[in-house]
Amino acid sequence: MQPLQSKENSLFRSLVKFYESKQYKKGLKAADQILRKVPNHGDTQAMKALILNSQGQSDEAFDLARQALKNDMKSHVCWHVYGLLYRSQKNYEEAAKAYKFALRIEPDSQNILRDLALLQVQMRDYQGYIQSRKQMLQVRASLRQNWTALAVAHHLAGEYKSAEHILKTYEDTLKTPPPKTDLEHSEAALYKNTIISESGDTERALEHLEEILKNNLDRTSVLELRAKYLLELGKNKEAEQAYRKLLGRNSEYRAYFDGLEKALGLARSDQVSHEELLALYDSYAEKNNRNDASRRIPLDFLQGDAFRTAADKYLRRMLNKGVPSLFPNIKSVYEDPAKKAIVEDLVLGYASEKKMNGSAQGEVNGDASDNFEKSVLYFLAQHYNYHLSRDLQKAVGYINRLIKMDPKFPAYHQTKARIYKHYGDTKTAADIINHARELDPKDRYINTKCAKYQLRNNENDVALSTMSKFTRNETAGGPLGDLHDMQCMWYLLEDGEAYLRQHNLGLALKRFTTISDIFDIWYDDQFDFHSFSLRKGQIRAYVDMIRWEDHLRDHPFFSRAAISAVKIYLMLADNPELTTPGNKPEFGNLDPVERKKAMKKARKEHERLEKAEAEKKAAAAKKPTATGADGEPKKEDPDPRGLKLIQTKEPLEMSLKFLRPLLEFSPKNIEAQNLGFEVHFRRKKYLLALKCLLAAQALDPENPIAHEQAIRFHQALPDIKDNPPKVSQVFKQVFDMFKSGTDLKAANSTWLEKNPQSPPHLLSAYHVRFLLDDSIKATNESDIQKLLDLPSITIEQAAAAFDYLNEWKSSEKVKNEYREAAAKKWPEATVFQVN
Amino acid sequence: MAEEPQSSTVHDGASDAPAPTGSAEDRKAAAALSALDAQDDEASSKKNVDTKALGEAMKNLSVDEKGKFGGEEKKKVVKVDAQDVSLLVAELELSKVKATELLRAHDGDAVKAMAAFVSTPA
Repeated sequence: MQPLQSKENSLFRSLVKFYESKQYKKGLKAADQILRKVPNHGDTQAMKALILNSQGQSDEAFDLARQALKNDMKSHVCWHVYGLLYRSQKNYEEAAKAYKFALRIEPDSQNILRDLALLQVQMRDYQGYIQSRKQMLQVRASLRQNWTALAVAHHLAGEYKSAEHILKTYEDTLKTPPPKTDLEHSEAALYKNTIISESGDTERALEHLEEILKNNLDRTSVLELRAKYLLELGKNKEAEQAYRKLLGRNSEYRAYFDGLEKALGLARSDQVSHEELLALYDSYAEKNNRNDASRRIPLDFLQGDAFRTAADKYLRRMLNKGVPSLFPNIKSVYEDPAKKAIVEDLVLGYASEKKMNGSAQGEVNGDASDNFEKSVLYFLAQHYNYHLSRDLQKAVGYINRLIKMDPKFPAYHQTKARIYKHYGDTKTAADIINHARELDPKDRYINTKCAKYQLRNNENDVALSTMSKFTRNETAGGPLGDLHDMQCMWYLLEDGEAYLRQHNLGLALKRFTTISDIFDIWYDDQFDFHSFSLRKGQIRAYVDMIRWEDHLRDHPFFSRAAISAVKIYLMLADNPELTTPGNKPEFGNLDPVERKKAMKKARKEHERLEKAEAEKKAAAAKKPTATGADGEPKKEDPDPRGLKLIQTKEPLEMSLKFLRPLLEFSPKNIEAQNLGFEVHFRRKKYLLALKCLLAAQALDPENPIAHEQAIRFHQALPDIKDNPPKVSQVFKQVFDMFKSGTDLKAANSTWLEKNPQSPPHLLSAYHVRFLLDDSIKATNESDIQKLLDLPSITIEQAAAAFDYLNEWKSSEKVKNEYREAAAKKWPEATVFQVN
Repeated sequence: MAEEPQSSTVHDGASDAPAPTGSAEDRKAAAALSALDAQDDEASSKKNVDTKALGEAMKNLSVDEKGKFGGEEKKKVVKVDAQDVSLLVAELELSKVKATELLRAHDGDAVKAMAAFVSTPA
């Protein structure tokens, strides 16, 4: 420590105060004043660095902090600040190191200890966290949250006994039982209960629960836990009562009915108990005229005529009321084809019934009967639009009748748009939904749907202007900037996918990277809760959150973005010329003269865009500096079109940023495993490629892509000479094909014969045929045409076949023939049309 | 994927509590709020605390499970070749610690270890 004279010392103290109250300007002034007297005062330099960092000058801050450390290696302030700087850079490991140095110098500093503890739990260093928390407790044992925190640390580390012991020790020290209104105590008691339950000792958990039952403030949780424990312990009689009590509180909650069924020993799969089950649900239905669950659940287990009777009753009730969500509510029973047929039959019956009643009664009944008819037609339109019962022509017929009856109702137009989406006609779908939006411009839901349909139709700019009707447009970056601030992931994802379809790899990759960044933010956001939740005493919710953060990236949005991003990186790795702006993959197939022309055109287009952007920027510069949602000036995006992203020198290495979490958190996603193979295969990490291949085969032994990859892997193996011998041995051990020296062609034909009706399987077989012997190209090309005649082929599969033609470098003539044939089969689909 | 059925009493657009917007601004506000009560929890918790009992309790902190989670009991003595470790690190892209663990679990046999790693689905 470098001592200061009294005047400077008081200046230093006010400097610290200025920093804490965020009066940075005054702080800097004070710091400079001290440094004028004592130029090498480490602590002051460190504090100044901290202020600079808060003002966004992190580089200068780091330099100054390093200088401060040089001047005063023995100062805990300097080390602490150094750690804080690293922490603000999210370099947690270095930050932890710096904090530990600081603690060595000043072991009793509460601030440093607290900062270290927060870092440790953020990094999931539970043993370290336990140590820090213990120290903090020893310094201030009077604070309940210090005890709870230590218990949490033990709990997260899986040490249930210690966790419980800590909580109990504290409870025992209380002179009088805390008042009933003490929320922290009530929560801590329930938290202790969950720990006991998680340790596997349900019996004791129940005992403990009975003790705290009466006074606990979270009534619902207590009752739910009690019912759960009773059921687990086989005390069915009491469990039944407990669940009945819960149903008395909320009779729409399915989990309570599930529990009740189990307590009564009734299984839905067992035909014998159906009668009793039905009686049970009927009794609840009688009790409450408006209850839905007790009427809807029986449809899940009833069969045959019993189902028909129940479904008839249910459907009539809902159709009479005109419940618009009836179809989404019913469609889950369609998995059973018999039930699907019964529902269809019933509703068609209502439709003809209506006609028979005729208009004479319609006059008398007025609105009500009209509503019934509309509901029936609306149900049928959705029914024939649903993938398990699809007949788009009928669907259009029904929806058009509805629109004639009520031309101003947005939902009907929305359904119509959806029907056209299923036709593959994204253009018409987008037009129709836009019409629906105009019918009710203040409805955010329909507005959002509209933007999505426009994105599906590759109209990025139009979609953004649709979204802008509900965003804050004065923020930096306009509507798009606001969508980023709001972390509007569905939009960013669809936007990226639309750009990908248009081969705008830069912007597509940029959007997908943003999604990944948002997940990073979510992970970092938990930092504040390590202290906040303890202070608020909401421990159970906190532990839930910690566990959720641990598998954050298994979220479907992350998988989708990651899969598309990895695909882009693979395209970049295979075609390095794509990194030139404006280059498109199809240019590769043109002859040189034409290619040059096309490239030139693309370059001009690129220049035009750049110019437009420069103009926009100039216009923006005239306005006062735009600020973000948090009131701080926003940094300008240095790469608004993602060009730098795609100009990466090592796309495969970059793709790992997406691939690794994808494989770690969604190992059951077969597409992820397929892509993992592609990346590792190109990186020559053959063992990792093999791991993905085997994982894909384990998920689905008939996976067509895995078949293709297995053959490619096998083909490549003899060429891999520089493999360490031990690695080659592993190949021999785990890879069947390699061992037996199979005839690849024979293997492929067997595979081909096994799946003669499935387009994806046939496609991969054709591709393998081509890989083994490229003279077969012509046969392949004619076979691929025949795929279109298969009854089961979908638009997506047909479009995928087109990609293979590209890969085989088929001539434009062949491709056009295929495209025309596909366009004939699906005249509405936009993908096969020549633009 | 089945939509969770709604009760027939619920109608879209019925008045509901406004959804939290969750903007950066709100998060700031929340942070500021939490900073406010950082001071007062000390005073409130003092009343009901028996300092003496706490002192006693502190002595009993570390009672159980010492060493149980240290994992000392099952550490087998397995010789691990440093070359094998670096082979695993390079081929399987594991951390050094993980690679060593994996080798240990397979008696230091690199081929076995790698084969097991490759064929167990993640």
